[in-house]
Amino acid sequence: MALEKIFPVLNQMETDGVIGRYAIGGAVGAIFWLEPFQTKDLDVFVVLPTSAGGTLLTLSPIYDYLLRLGYRPDGQFIVMEGWSVEFVPPGTALVEEALTESVSREVNDVLTRVFTAEHLAAICLQVGRPRDHDRMVRFIEAGVLDAAILDAILRRHNLLEKWAAFEQSFLPE
Amino acid sequence: MTKLMLQILERKSAWRKRVAALPVEEKLRMLEEMIADTRAIVATHPPKPANPVRPLSARPFKS
Repeated sequence: MALEKIFPVLNQMETDGVIGRYAIGGAVGAIFWLEPFQTKDLDVFVVLPTSAGGTLLTLSPIYDYLLRLGYRPDGQFIVMEGWSVEFVPPGTALVEEALTESVSREVNDVLTRVFTAEHLAAICLQVGRPRDHDRMVRFIEAGVLDAAILDAILRRHNLLEKWAAFEQSFLPE
Repeated sequence: MTKLMLQILERKSAWRKRVAALPVEEKLRMLEEMIADTRAIVATHPPKPANPVRPLSARPFKS
């Protein structure tokens, strides 16, 4: 499996200080909790180390490190083991919290980190594209969301109104 | 919703629960198989409709 070759590289990048804490999010993150569905990229959420002597966040060390390993850039992605991998710094307080509270999961004896199901669902609700609503329905149908945990996240990030609208449109009695 | 549609939805939901509960390794393997299968599909594109529906934002502004 190509994906399981990527996780050790990410772990090594973290150990080497090229990236801070990382976690898998997006569609592949969701597949850790749900049934597999089609996706073409791997979203790796990362805390970026700041540039030497400054406060500027930069992806350059990540690119330099991976190019040295023989991987190649493709637009905003880096192609690793046939996968388009995107390194994404957290852009909202919710994603920042998802990264902090991400959990370790083992894939064929290799440890990696993934967003919790509740955080992935809350991010879907926040982003709100049609495919995010579809994914949210999958989370609910799969029965993997803890209601109390999700409720607390939605309250913390002011998403209760969005939840009510989603519930009305997509979860009819 | 008809009884038949409800039955179909229940089956779909049960299938999703069953597959979601598989080990992560198995699910990621299924995902990579799915991607490989999709890439292997060779098909001709269907003809485009003469008057395609467009997203609202792309429609010309009318006052």
